[in-house]
Amino acid sequence: MKPNRTRGLVRRATPILAIAVVIALQTGLGLPPVLVFPLYLLIVLLTAFYSSRIDSLFCAVLAAIGVSAPAILGGTSGDLAVPLLLAAVLLVVAIAVHEVVGRIRAEAVGAERMAMELQGREERLRITVEAAQVGLALVGADGGWLLVNERLCVILRRSRAELLHLTVVDVTSEHDQGAISEALSMLRSGDILRWEAELHQVRGDGGRVPVEITIAAVSDHPGGERVLLVQETDVSTRKRVEGLRDGLVAVRHTIVSATTWEQAAPQLLGALCAHLDWDLAQYWAVDTDLQALRLRQAWHRDGAAFEEFHNQSRRLSIASGEGLLGRVWQSGIPAAQEDMSVATDYDRVAVALQAGLRSAVAFPVITGGSVIGVVEMLTHQPRMIENDLVTMLSTAGGEIGNFIRRAETAQALRRSEADHRAIFERSPIGIARISSEGELLEANTALLTMLEHDFQVMRSHSWPDLLRAYDQAAARARFSPLLAGISEGKSVQVRAGTGGGNWLWLQLSATSIPDASGRPEHVLVMVEDVTVVREAQDKLGEALESQRSANATLEKLDRTKTEFLSIVSHEFRTALTGIQGFSELIRDGGLEPDEVRAYGGYIFNDADRVNRLIGDLLDLDRMESGRMSIRTADVDINEVLSDSIARAGSSPSVEFKADLDPRLPIVVGDRDRLVQVVSNLVNNAVKYSPDGGTVTLSSRAEGGFALVSVTDTGVGIPPDEISHVFERFRRVRSGAAQSIPGTGLGLTIVKQIVEMHAGKIWVESAVGHGSAFHFTLPLAAENVTPLQRRHA
Amino acid sequence: MHDRAVPGAKGLITVLVADDNDVAQRLCRRVLEKAGYKVLIAVDGLQAVEVAMSQRPAMILMDVAMPGIDGIEAMKRIKAQIPNQPIVIASAHSMSSDRERFLAAGADDILSKPFRLSDLVAIVAKLTAPK
Repeated sequence: MKPNRTRGLVRRATPILAIAVVIALQTGLGLPPVLVFPLYLLIVLLTAFYSSRIDSLFCAVLAAIGVSAPAILGGTSGDLAVPLLLAAVLLVVAIAVHEVVGRIRAEAVGAERMAMELQGREERLRITVEAAQVGLALVGADGGWLLVNERLCVILRRSRAELLHLTVVDVTSEHDQGAISEALSMLRSGDILRWEAELHQVRGDGGRVPVEITIAAVSDHPGGERVLLVQETDVSTRKRVEGLRDGLVAVRHTIVSATTWEQAAPQLLGALCAHLDWDLAQYWAVDTDLQALRLRQAWHRDGAAFEEFHNQSRRLSIASGEGLLGRVWQSGIPAAQEDMSVATDYDRVAVALQAGLRSAVAFPVITGGSVIGVVEMLTHQPRMIENDLVTMLSTAGGEIGNFIRRAETAQALRRSEADHRAIFERSPIGIARISSEGELLEANTALLTMLEHDFQVMRSHSWPDLLRAYDQAAARARFSPLLAGISEGKSVQVRAGTGGGNWLWLQLSATSIPDASGRPEHVLVMVEDVTVVREAQDKLGEALESQRSANATLEKLDRTKTEFLSIVSHEFRTALTGIQGFSELIRDGGLEPDEVRAYGGYIFNDADRVNRLIGDLLDLDRMESGRMSIRTADVDINEVLSDSIARAGSSPSVEFKADLDPRLPIVVGDRDRLVQVVSNLVNNAVKYSPDGGTVTLSSRAEGGFALVSVTDTGVGIPPDEISHVFERFRRVRSGAAQSIPGTGLGLTIVKQIVEMHAGKIWVESAVGHGSAFHFTLPLAAENVTPLQRRHA
Repeated sequence: MHDRAVPGAKGLITVLVADDNDVAQRLCRRVLEKAGYKVLIAVDGLQAVEVAMSQRPAMILMDVAMPGIDGIEAMKRIKAQIPNQPIVIASAHSMSSDRERFLAAGADDILSKPFRLSDLVAIVAKLTAPK
């Protein structure tokens, strides 16, 4: 700063000093104005050239004063005119020169500024081109890059130097090279001035980038050849987003128009590849039996050689968590192998690389929260997997999964519908489909054949009967009626008549078929003809029952036999006690004659008792085994009764009464056996009348039979024992009758004898009032009384 | 009835014979009196219990098949009152199952009918012997 200011001061002071020097010379030497005028003029001119207008005018004024002052101060009028003229000249010259110099100087400054401006504008343009968000370049007529901006280098991932050795066709994908070559030639020839396209270019790393390209012819280059301005925009982001959107739309479109996954798969995989720019896609389904992923469907771009890759894929079973696909299956989220050449856990690396596949992505096909398959896509390009692709694939995976589930359900439904129809029609079991009100909706052939009805009769008559029978049987088995609630797994057997008049055993079991909301919509009733089984069962049951009852009889017989033996041996031993004891006493001697006589009586009685017992037992055995015969003859039953009273007359306490019908016809029978019957009944009557009383014997004819009664006024028979009095050894032992001796076989024998005579015997009794034994005997055919016979 | 169940004379061992069969009663009385015992007779189970309580015989010869309560029941009732009362069951029920039944019911010994007179005397002597 300081030197500048100093220089300015020096420059400004210099003309003033020069003028002062000239004035001093003029004044000191007294030189005439004309002589010093050139000096003044020189200073003014110089000042006018180099100093500002103020400075130069000031100098000019000073010079004018210097020229004219001495003359004015000297006072000579003649001299005065010249100095004044000279002063005026100086002023005019200073102004004029200054004007001219200023104008010249201004013109020079303007030219310089213009040049600088031009230079700045160029720089700005260069920066703008460089900084442009579009790739810009100039290419020559041969397509060689002449000038490229930084952005273009970025888009093509190539250095500027590299590009300048290449042509625009060189960096265009094979697929688009033809188009761009044709465009260049047309631009060169001037047929078109501008060409626009969307195409793929090849990056330095081999990757492809979609670009929007505009090529325009520009004015001739100073070199004379035609150049083209190329503008490129990287549309990969836009294309990707569009691809994602279109891919998803295509997936949905395919799903909507297809009915089965098999039908939809190729189209869907192809659409995904086309929109997302992949070369190959495979669908791997989870095989639940193998617990592995298996290749199901595949799609690839035309012309590519993926045969070996597909073959190897087909042979593969991928377990959960294994490799790329296994990981996707396990985790349920998409995963990628961006660079196949460094893959460590991709299962088909070698064959993939051989097929030129560089990147892979896989996403799960999910439905209901579980992975049912995995879609794998591969491409020749090295591919970065962006988040939005992952999101899109996840979405697509969900939609595909739901579609597969829907399609499979629909297919299963169609198949099961067909199956059910076939089962219904061809089943050997009768099947009826009925409404929830019980009305028969459908009956299969088997049912109609079984019941020998046509459908109309079946619906109007046979079915309601069956339903009623079912409900009755269900009630017995304690489960609900058919329509009130199906008891799954329960069945009932009912009897049903057929149209042909046969009777069948039918086994019915019902199953309710719910509608979509779970309410029973209709009911299926299975009807099986179990007649053969049931009849076999019944026969078996009868056989078992008769076997059981036979066994019971045998057991009872066995018990009775044991009991009989026990009773008989007791009876014998009791009788033998007296016989053996008293005979031992007699044998040992030393007895009084009275004693011997008395003991002999005891022995005789007991021996007699044993004898009777044996007789009874033998009689019984003969009668029961049917070996006893009766010697029939005419018998006067009144005579038998009278004899019996006569024999029993010795009884001390009992009074006998006879009420005999004198006109009673003779009966046909064995007299000895009939005597046995009567004496047995009379003995009983006496025995069971321990406190005396009356025993009445009566006879009368009644309906072809002689009715004989032996009535006592004794202890009577308790009601619970009355039905057993004719059984063996069923002696009435309770109450007042318990101490009365007997073999217990008498009434059994009596009954047998009466029945052998085709008669009947029964008893009426009241405890404390006595008993009445009645028996009947058939009268002789001639119906004559003994009296008549005697007279005959 | 009590006239037959006379209290025993001084110095004589008393034996109660309970039996509903009068032949058996006579036989036992004849044999045991001859052997020097005082014999009491009961004709049924209830009477046997009554006499056993009132007379305290040295031992009881008890038939089983008697009217009213049978010999087994009578024996149980007596044993309930006099636990160390010797009782011999004399029965024509002589099956092995019967013997076990009688012993289980508390009989001290069993005399099967019919019996040798010497057996009767021996069993009575055994059970009336001073301990």
